[in-house]
Order: sequence, then structure tokens, then C-alpha cells
Amino acid sequence: MAISFKLNNKETSLDVDPQMPLLWAIRDYAGLTGTKFSCGIAVCGACTVLMEGAPVRSCVMPVSAAAGKSITTIEGLSKNNDHPVQKAWIEAQVPQCGYCQSGQILSAVALLERKPNPTDDDIDNAMNSVLCRCGTYPRVRKAIKLASK
Amino acid sequence: MKANTINPKISRRKFVALSSASSALMLIGCVPSTGKDKVVNLADGGVETALNQFISINSEGLITLYNHRPEMGQGTFQSIPMILAEELDADIRQVKIVQSEANSSLYGRQMVVGSHSIQSEFMNCRKMGAAAKDMLVRAAAETWGVQPADVKAKNGVVTANQSGKTLTYGELVAKAAKLKAPENPKLKSVKEFRTIGGSFPRADIPLKTDGSAKFGIDIQVPGMLYASVQRSPVFEGKVVSFNQEEVLKVPGVTHVLKTSRDLFGNREGVAVLGESYWAAYQGRKALKIEWDNRGLDKISSETIRNVYLKASKEPGDVLHEKGDADRAIRNASEVIEAVYEMPYQAHVPMEPMNAVVDVRADSAEFWGSTQNPNGTRSYLARFLNLPEEKVKINYTFMGGGFGRRSRTDVAEEAADLSKKSGRPVKVIWTREDDQTAGPFRAASVNTCRAVLKQGKIEALEHKVVAQEIRNQSGSNNKAGRQLMGGVNTEYAIPNVSVKGVLQKHHVPISYWRAVYHSTNPFAHESFIDELAVKAGRDPLEFRLEMMQDHKRFKRVLEIVDQVFNWKDKPEGVGRGLAIAERSGAHFAMMIDVERNGKGVKVKKITTVVDLGICINPDTVKAQTEGSIVMGLGAALYGLTIDKGAIVEQNWHQYPLLRIGQCPEIETYIVKSDAEPDGAGESGLPTVAPALANAIYDLTGKRIRRLPLDLEKLS
Ligand code: FES
Ligand code: FES
Repeated sequence: MAISFKLNNKETSLDVDPQMPLLWAIRDYAGLTGTKFSCGIAVCGACTVLMEGAPVRSCVMPVSAAAGKSITTIEGLSKNNDHPVQKAWIEAQVPQCGYCQSGQILSAVALLERKPNPTDDDIDNAMNSVLCRCGTYPRVRKAIKLASK
Repeated sequence: MKANTINPKISRRKFVALSSASSALMLIGCVPSTGKDKVVNLADGGVETALNQFISINSEGLITLYNHRPEMGQGTFQSIPMILAEELDADIRQVKIVQSEANSSLYGRQMVVGSHSIQSEFMNCRKMGAAAKDMLVRAAAETWGVQPADVKAKNGVVTANQSGKTLTYGELVAKAAKLKAPENPKLKSVKEFRTIGGSFPRADIPLKTDGSAKFGIDIQVPGMLYASVQRSPVFEGKVVSFNQEEVLKVPGVTHVLKTSRDLFGNREGVAVLGESYWAAYQGRKALKIEWDNRGLDKISSETIRNVYLKASKEPGDVLHEKGDADRAIRNASEVIEAVYEMPYQAHVPMEPMNAVVDVRADSAEFWGSTQNPNGTRSYLARFLNLPEEKVKINYTFMGGGFGRRSRTDVAEEAADLSKKSGRPVKVIWTREDDQTAGPFRAASVNTCRAVLKQGKIEALEHKVVAQEIRNQSGSNNKAGRQLMGGVNTEYAIPNVSVKGVLQKHHVPISYWRAVYHSTNPFAHESFIDELAVKAGRDPLEFRLEMMQDHKRFKRVLEIVDQVFNWKDKPEGVGRGLAIAERSGAHFAMMIDVERNGKGVKVKKITTVVDLGICINPDTVKAQTEGSIVMGLGAALYGLTIDKGAIVEQNWHQYPLLRIGQCPEIETYIVKSDAEPDGAGESGLPTVAPALANAIYDLTGKRIRRLPLDLEKLS
């Protein structure tokens, strides 16, 4: 049975196993590969998408839980890489390999929605479980501060 | 004009034309290949002409620079084109950067390891850029009937000195391509550099903020199957039997096959193939495999540790010798000794290992994240019994490498499964697979002994007990020089001996960022600190005195002292120092720690690095930040083995450093006109020793065994 939801503002209907994690449905069936697989057990944040504006870890969320909801992936954040967080990310030259960055950016977007002027502690709390093996943390912090201005 | 893309289609068409006519001149770095008659009509409009294998220009003036080194985060996607653009006199912000094909006859070695890309390509790429500019300049001079010396090139435009007439590179390229490429084009002097040394924004970054960058795991090929492989948890366990029939009943599963990969020995597993990754993974979960562990399930971290500690008492093989340290130690009334231990580490790049391979009747194609495109090509050619020309390698952005992706074992699994299933196959490893299957950074025990005489080191012996990457099997049991990587032999000590005791067992190891420079300096620089304390000397002065004849170490130490006020330590701070060399880069690191409840908190890490000419300072800073974060994580966490297998399955058990643990980081780059050194690992070797030294300074507690627990130090 097809599962329908709004993906980056587009009505989307996927005919997949309802138990399949949203991550694989988005990547392998909707063809949007900006959302990444890394730990598969909700501890790294690479697979973060926004569901009704709130960050969720799509690697452990069955696609059926997205039915009727609105999902935003990195591809849907802006048309031209011009969301304030994306602009700050480019200005601070955050990414290295880039693999964790969709998750970093969407987590930061959600943080700034809640707290437009986050403190260092706010940043730690919101971003502590979004991992980066390349060690871009100093720049993630800098970019969040740039975007909050 | 802003078009930084990876477009394999364009590069393929061009280089078919390029390589067919010009074999004799294809000597990398010596003679640029001529672009004669290599005009190709491109699908995206304009006529694009190649001046050599790195540079082509279209009739509209758009310059395309081919980056021939895979990008895993290190930033050569930008810095290699910066070198080309410098000598070509093109505006790096206006060019299009395209990832080249994997072809060693066009590009030489394309492997990215050991921070070598910039070091080895600096002169090559300058010559390529300068040769192309020379051809454009001559074409302009010929057009105007003047001497080449009478025209000037700048930012893609050639101007006649006298008349002030101008022609763009786009207008000149067709004519320039017909000229002979110079063998020894004139290069700029360092003073003339306008691109090199500038922190230009990286061209790959916008692709990584909107999700459009393609990594190996993102590749989709028509007709492709997905595979998930259950490998033996015990390294080198063999498959006895498995429930093939049962797993084939899982919806979406197409094949259940035994497979293997070569990684210092044959590593077996059972692969489940399916129409989706999810289906394959569901099938894998239903697998029941009987393994023959061949008695290898007895080892644990403790058994390995005991063997290494015992081995450290052996004399070992001499790897480096100056004076007679053995005699000085034998005859001394007091010998200072310390034993240091370091655990296994996994690379765990954020992008799990994966590969797509399509094996066809008489050819094969690979797509994926690899540090080693040429090696993957020759490996697949051998494995599939095909000539190399029949194997096409498409290398993508890598979601991190750190040495793990220099191995070709994952491509082998995909090739094996594609061959057996007759379909293109994408193998995706899980995080658990990646963390537990290896190869790992080698665990090691280092023992250091020294004799002090009047406050100076009279003799020092450093013994490394570890597995050696280059010698993991076979009958040669002599330690090789690889084992002593990172042991600093530049100190002015009259008697020095570096020894190795080679260990051989079946835990697979490989290159991990900074390799032995990520372990041995922990012992060496901790020990130098212990000796300074014993001698009652300031650790910086102590080192500086022994580096008076070494310009680069002396300089970085002096900067730590003078610019970063080594001696002016704030109240409540513990301060530690360490120095090291890696890939030619020389650096000194100062770490400040302070008390935090019952434990210690890392407050600030300052690095002073001398790596010769710096291509892109912001990239060097980013690499140093990354090295520090990785080095700090490796000081705090490690892997353990029990019953012949890795205990920590995923990041909840083997944590990566988190943003909240990341200290303030400051990087100071020493100005230099010397040829560039490698930037990708500088800072990593010094983190663990500088941290241990800072902890000692604050608490009086000496850490000699990693990982260390910052929470338990009071
Ligand atoms: S892949 Fe989902 S949190 Fe790591
Ligand atoms: S940029 Fe590579 S993992 Fe974060």
C-alpha cells in the first residue's frame, strides 16, 4: 500500500514496505540522496530530516510514521543554497568531506527556529549528538552564530 | 560564471580524443601533453579545447581545470586547481573544476594518502599551468606579429604591451592548441604568486550545503541490486554453512551468496542481495551462519597486551642508531624508564564503506568513494582477468577516508557479487561492519629508557612493539622502519637508539590518519616531558636547547614561547607541549586544561605549523582543526577485542568527539618560501602527548596508557 506524505512541499506517494525506514524510502525510492546513512541507530544525526519543522532521525523512523506529514530534506531547504543557515555555512567554510553536513545544517535550522540567538550551551545541547568525523565543530559553532545575527 | 561540477561525461569524451593521438608526450610532470587537434564539441555549447590533460578552455573563455586527486575532505579539489590557475594566470573564482578520470598514464599516481597530493603535485601542476599559458601567450604574439616577451597574460586575457590590444584565452585557445607545448615553461617566482596563499572559498562547499554532492553511496545504476554482507565477527573466520533457502524467502531478496575480500588474508562472508537496501538488510538479519573460527576466538585485548608487554623486554631490531645508547644505559647509575600503551582505533568515516560495480561480458565499471582509483582499476582488472582499459573507474566525493579507503577490498566484494549475480551491485556496509571488520590502526606498546647527565639527555632508547602494516604475514619477522614513524630523531641527543619488536597476528591493520605518527609521538613526547621534569627544566626550554640546529623545530617552539606566551600561564591552567613532524610539516602544540569537577576539561589547543608554502591557508586551518578533533577522540576512546572480535559495535560504544567536547582551537601558520609539505595530518600526532603533559602539569598525574578518561583524573 502506498504511503503518502509531503516531501519538500511536493505530494509524494511511495509504494514501499511500511516498516522501511524513512531514510531508505527517501534515498532509494524518492531518489533524494542528500539525506545520509551513517550509524543506522539514531546516534549520529547524519540522516536528520525535518518533520513538521522538527528534526527527526530518519534511519530509525518507519516510513509509515511520515504518512500525511510534511518532510523537509536538505534539497528542500531552499531553492538556491540561500537559506540563511546555508549562507552562513558557506561563509564559515564549514564542510570538509561534507557527508555529515545535511544533518548538521538541518539540526542547526531547527535550533535557530527555537532559539534565534543560541548560547554556546544551547548549541552544545542541540548539536552534541550530530557527529562529524572530519572535526568541523569549530566552524559549525561559528556558522550558527553567523546565522543567528 | 560559477559552475563547479563533477561531470564524468564531459571528461570521458575529451580524453578519448586526447589520449588517442598523443602518447609520447604523456609524461606526467615532465612534458605536458600537447592539445594539438584535440577539439571537441561539447554538449553544453561552445567549442572546448584541451591544452593539456589538466586544462581546457572553451571559445567563450570558460576555463575548465581537471582535478586528478580524489576529494575526501582534505580540500585538494580546490588547492590543486589553485596551483594550475596560478601559473595559467586564471581567476580561480571564475573557473570550472571537474574531477578527472582515473588514468595513471595521463595523471600518474592518483592515490590520496599521507598528505602527499600537494607535495608531489606542486611542481607538476605549476608546469602544466605555465605550459598552457606559454602556448596562449605565443598564440597572441603570433597573431599580432610581436615577440612573446612583448605581451602579458593576466586573468584570462593577453594584452600587447605596445598597442594595448587584447585577446581572451577563449579567443586564443584554438590557435594555442596547435603550438608545441614547451618542455620547460618559465615558472613564476614565489613573490609573483597571486592565487597561491589566498584563502579562496572551496568550490566543493556549496555542493555540500545543498545535498547535491554525490558520494559513492549515492550512486544509482539501472538494474542495480543492493547487497548487505555478514562477515565473520572473528577476523578470518570461515563460512561452514548458511540457511540460503530460508533467506531467499524474505521479500525482495534475490540472491544469498558466499563472498570474500582480500585484506591481508582472505575474509569471508555471506551476502544477501535484494531489490532494495532494506530488503537485502532484512534478509541479512534472517541469516544463520555457522562459522569455523579456527581457534582465533581466544584472543582479547588483554592477551594481546600481555604478549606485547612481554615482547617489550626483548632486545628488538635496531631501526635507527646514533652513538651508543645501549652502553650509556648499561653503565648509568640511574636509568629513567616508562612504558606507554595505545589501543586499536577504527577509521569510521561518516560515509560507511560501499562500492558499486557492474561486471559485464568483457568489461567492468566501478563507481564509488576511493582514495585509490588506480589501485582499484588494476585490482579489478586482475580480479576479473580483464585488460586495464576495459575497467572504468568513476571516483566520487568521499564521505571521509582517513586511510580506510586506500584499500580495495570493498570493490572486490561488489565485483564478486556482480559477477555472480549478473547485475550491477551496490554493497553497503553498516556502521557496525565498518567498526568491527577492520582494518584498524595498530595498537602498540612503546618503552622508553634514558640517562640524564647534568640536566641534559645523554642517551635515549625508544622501542616500538606493534604490528607493521607492510609486513602482516609471511616469514620475515624483522621489524621494518615503518614501525618507528613519528619517533623524533632530530633532538640533539648524543646517544640514540630506536628499536622495533615486530608483532604478527591476525587482527588486520592499515593506514590510519598519520599512521605510526599517530601513536609513537605519544610515547616519545610524553617521555621528553618526563625527562624535563626529572631534570627540573622547563619543557619548552628543554626541547629548544636540543633543537638549536634544527631551524624549523626551533622556529615553531620560539613562536609558541613568544607569540603564545608559553611561560605566562593563566591561574588554574595546566599547560602541555609537544612537537612533531608529519609529511614534512613541522609543528608545535600547546594544550591548556583546567579542572572540571572531579575531572579535567580541555580548554584550548594552539598549533604552530611550518609546512612550507601554504596553498590555501583556510584549508590548512580546517585540516589542522580536523586532525586535532580526531587526535583528541583517539586519546579519549579506543577499541577493545574480546573472544577474537571487536567489542564496540557502534558509536554509542566507541564515541566520536562531540561539539561540546571540542576546545577552542587556534592555528598559526609560519610564513615560508620553501616547497609545500603535507597539511592533512599536522596536529594529530601531538594531541595525545601535549594533553598528557598538560594533565601532568595540572594534576601531577602521568598518563601512560590510552585511552584516558578526562572525568577521572583527580
Ligand atoms: S544514520 Fe540516523 S542517526 Fe546516524
Ligand atoms: S564534514 Fe566530514 S563528517 Fe563532517
